[in-house]
Amino acid sequence: MPAFDAGLLARAASGDASAFQRLVEQHRSMVYRMAYQFAGNHHDAEDIAQEVFLKVYRSLDRFRQDSQLSSWLYRIVMNACIDHRRRDGVAGAPIRGPEQEERVLNTPEASPGPEARAYAGELNEVLQCEIRRLPPGQRVVFLMRHYEGLKLSEIARALGLAEGTVKRQLHAAVHRLRRALTVARVTAGERV
Amino acid sequence: MTHCAVMASGTIEVYFYGELPADRRAQVDAHLATCADCRALLEDLSEIRNVVDDRFAAFAPPGGDWSGFMARLAREIPADARRARDNFASDDLPHRPRFAAGTNVRHRRWSPAGLVAAAALLSLVGTGVNLAMRSRFPSSPPVGAASVPGGVRQRPDGEPGFAALSGEHFGRSKLVVLGLAAKDSARATSADWTYERELAGRLLSDTRLYRMAAEDRGLLSIAGVMRDLELVLIQASFTDAADPEALSRIQGLIRRRDLVAKMDVVAMAGS
Repeated sequence: MPAFDAGLLARAASGDASAFQRLVEQHRSMVYRMAYQFAGNHHDAEDIAQEVFLKVYRSLDRFRQDSQLSSWLYRIVMNACIDHRRRDGVAGAPIRGPEQEERVLNTPEASPGPEARAYAGELNEVLQCEIRRLPPGQRVVFLMRHYEGLKLSEIARALGLAEGTVKRQLHAAVHRLRRALTVARVTAGERV
Repeated sequence: MTHCAVMASGTIEVYFYGELPADRRAQVDAHLATCADCRALLEDLSEIRNVVDDRFAAFAPPGGDWSGFMARLAREIPADARRARDNFASDDLPHRPRFAAGTNVRHRRWSPAGLVAAAALLSLVGTGVNLAMRSRFPSSPPVGAASVPGGVRQRPDGEPGFAALSGEHFGRSKLVVLGLAAKDSARATSADWTYERELAGRLLSDTRLYRMAAEDRGLLSIAGVMRDLELVLIQASFTDAADPEALSRIQGLIRRRDLVAKMDVVAMAGS
């Protein structure tokens, strides 16, 4: 992640539009990359990235200089990803009641499962699809570990979670991916 | 997949990522020599990493063209600033994020019957659980202004409307906190606290917004208690309920942060 420029941040917080634009230009690639990895398509990635920078804009004056700037931005990206998932509901259906929100966060994406994918392509296709089907909480942690290369302690700090929670989310994600791999290998073996 | 305790603890993943200290790493090396299941997990992790390395990464909109993105952001920001100003001017609620055109915005409404039922339930559960809490947490300090750092009365004339709304939010959230705290963590199954997990998920966004609004207003005591509540709600929402240790960890967090007492103090100060 590019280093934050404290002076630029201060100018943006004081209402300097060009400073804010420069800030966006410095960080938009990282934000877009994370959003795309989470959403799996450009349309949703752009919505998420827009939401991230609106949130940054709203909270510029709240950023504490002694805080980790990278953690602050990661947390905004994570929240935007989960909010986006929550708004869209499962399989694009609108969420009809607040009681569905928690279920949505822990519900895998509805899309063809590993058996169907194994018939359609290679094992890595199965895994790629399964990553997109991970429940949002697990997916965010998995992406931050694998794509951003952050340590578990760094992820915990960035997301404001206990390190043990991050470890369990990652373990659950790996468990799901392994199960998909196993099913796909069996299916592919049966086909041969 | 088996029931190897080392595998179940998530240690193999940490080993794979190279984040174990040297002494623990040596222990895992020794374990791997005898555990075929953990070796299989390592192989699968390598395969997963290879797939991840091959996965297509997009760093920019199609064609690398940011102009549409930047134009949309430039349109959204003035509109967002107007909405935020209107929201804060018309009521004292924290700013609820609005979303870009074309996305769904849901409005949550409670029916009168639902409100009455919720109030009755809150009262009933609160009374019962308070009694249980007294016996379970005898070390909790007595409820009083001194138990909140700085005391919420440091700005008695500052934004009483916001303090009252915060108090109401703590009142709603107490149902979850007390419900979690009163469970018998040794016997409770994940199904026993599904209701609290659902409520925690519902309250999380509002708590975050109240916390940010309190920070905005310099109401540090309210912000601090909101932050503690947010931590508990995050843990309750995201923790794997099937994890047998999850509930006791959350209860430990509630106890260490003295959350029940702090919420009481802030709620009383705002009333």
